[in-house]
Amino acid sequence: MSLLSVHGVTKTFGGISANRGITFDVASGELVGIIGPNGAGKSTLFECISGFYAPDAGEIALDGARLNRLSPDRVCRLGVARTFQKLRPFSGMTVVENVMVGALTRTKNVKHAREQAHEWLRRVGLVEKANAHARTLSTGQRKRLEMARALATQPRVVLLDEVTGGVDQRSIPGLVELVRELHAGGLTVLLIEHNMRVVTAVAKRILALHMGELIADGPPELVARDRRVVEAYLGQAYVA
Amino acid sequence: MKTFAAAIVFFAAAGLAPLFVRDAFFLDTLVLMLVWGCAAGAWNIAGGYAGQISLGHATFFGLGAYAAALCGVRWNISPWYGVAIGAALAMAAGTVIGFLSNRLRGPYFVIATIAVSQILLIGASRWRGFTAGSEGIPVPFRPGFWTLGIADKRLWVWIVLGLALLVYLVQAYLERSRRGFQLAAVREDEDAALSLGVPARRLKVVAIAVSAAFTAICGAFWAQYVGFVDPVYVFSLDLSVRFSLAAIIGGLGTALGPFLGAVLVTMVETWLRAELGGLGSNLIGMYLILYGVALILMVRFAPQGIVGWARQR
Repeated sequence: MSLLSVHGVTKTFGGISANRGITFDVASGELVGIIGPNGAGKSTLFECISGFYAPDAGEIALDGARLNRLSPDRVCRLGVARTFQKLRPFSGMTVVENVMVGALTRTKNVKHAREQAHEWLRRVGLVEKANAHARTLSTGQRKRLEMARALATQPRVVLLDEVTGGVDQRSIPGLVELVRELHAGGLTVLLIEHNMRVVTAVAKRILALHMGELIADGPPELVARDRRVVEAYLGQAYVA
Repeated sequence: MKTFAAAIVFFAAAGLAPLFVRDAFFLDTLVLMLVWGCAAGAWNIAGGYAGQISLGHATFFGLGAYAAALCGVRWNISPWYGVAIGAALAMAAGTVIGFLSNRLRGPYFVIATIAVSQILLIGASRWRGFTAGSEGIPVPFRPGFWTLGIADKRLWVWIVLGLALLVYLVQAYLERSRRGFQLAAVREDEDAALSLGVPARRLKVVAIAVSAAFTAICGAFWAQYVGFVDPVYVFSLDLSVRFSLAAIIGGLGTALGPFLGAVLVTMVETWLRAELGGLGSNLIGMYLILYGVALILMVRFAPQGIVGWARQR
């Protein structure tokens, strides 16, 4: 049974189709990696699902409820949370307050929200930074903060955009482990990832986008050998 | 907690002062400080907490002032109705401007708010049959609490102090409540707030509407206290700047800050007018230059305002 269904999603900017007729389903508890070269339309797809862009055509539904044409805050309250590729912490607030904003979407009680926020910070390994200002965090810590904040909204599906992008090499294994743990806890995850090693390490299914189109959908070993995927990444000369 | 104690001291001092000091000039200044403090606090709800910087809050102040004055002059009913009508009108206008804030961000929003206040200024100056045009309206003085014809300035201090406490409490609520955290998130990064399920658009509209309503109540009280409503003054950019300046000097997004800022601004302005004003003086507008200098110094050296600066000590 599919939890998130994306059907025929098309989004154009001027003459450029950033997404063209993208269709796939994600079952509850799945972890799906999304790969593709720069400009393939990965982030646009996330923007469409999370309500920041209205698709020109197509349908997006969560558990049968239509998401497209809803505002981003409604989409979040229905159960789809996201992180941003370009990190956007609330820099003037403390780390725990950042996460409280997420938690307050589900509880009206500020004290409960603070407790929940501490719990999420513990899970992502940031609890000792709880009272620090968000602007003092390193990039890797900010990635963790964004995840904690998104997860505090208690999503059914979480969209993670470039978890390891811009992070120093030593922090990558910890972040990968975190994504794996969250998934093991039953969370449904869509993961945009540039780093093939990361994505093949965590995802059992990969979607490959190229020039706005979905060109492959399957287990990592098959997608990595797919002729069109290799062509998109490395150019025609490498197609065996 | 420390700022809460400071607030108690501040409001208690304002409330008790009339018992000991009978000097009319002092009481007059105190009333005006509190009125400007309330207006700055009301401005802070939109500008400080929600991050919607407006330079058109004179719109709401003027609506309140005119509503109170016209109730007495045109319909011969209690100015208290004017307070309510002014607040309702300002709330409606605030809602419209709030929707604008969802279309326009940053400087575009600021310019739109100025434009709205200028439209009302022109409207009030030209609609002679109703508003008496640019001559302004003298507010009739009918003694009594119900008619807000109060000669005793001490009573005025306490009336306006009541409003000040209300404005303070609304702000204090925004400092520690769920809605306060959500508004702070909207102020920091609206898209990130939206992605976390914060109904940013609705919250901004409500914040601006509430801010507008309180500003109108200030305008209505001010009109009754001063006894004359002049469109060029009540809808002026000067007044809008005064509200925002007091809030910025006191501390954006702090509950007590706007009141402290208003005290400072009013004191300096009163003193300068007395020193430099008067017949034949060439320095009558000097206080405006000092406003500008103060703002530059403030933004340069203590951008968090008096309260923010004190917290860091």
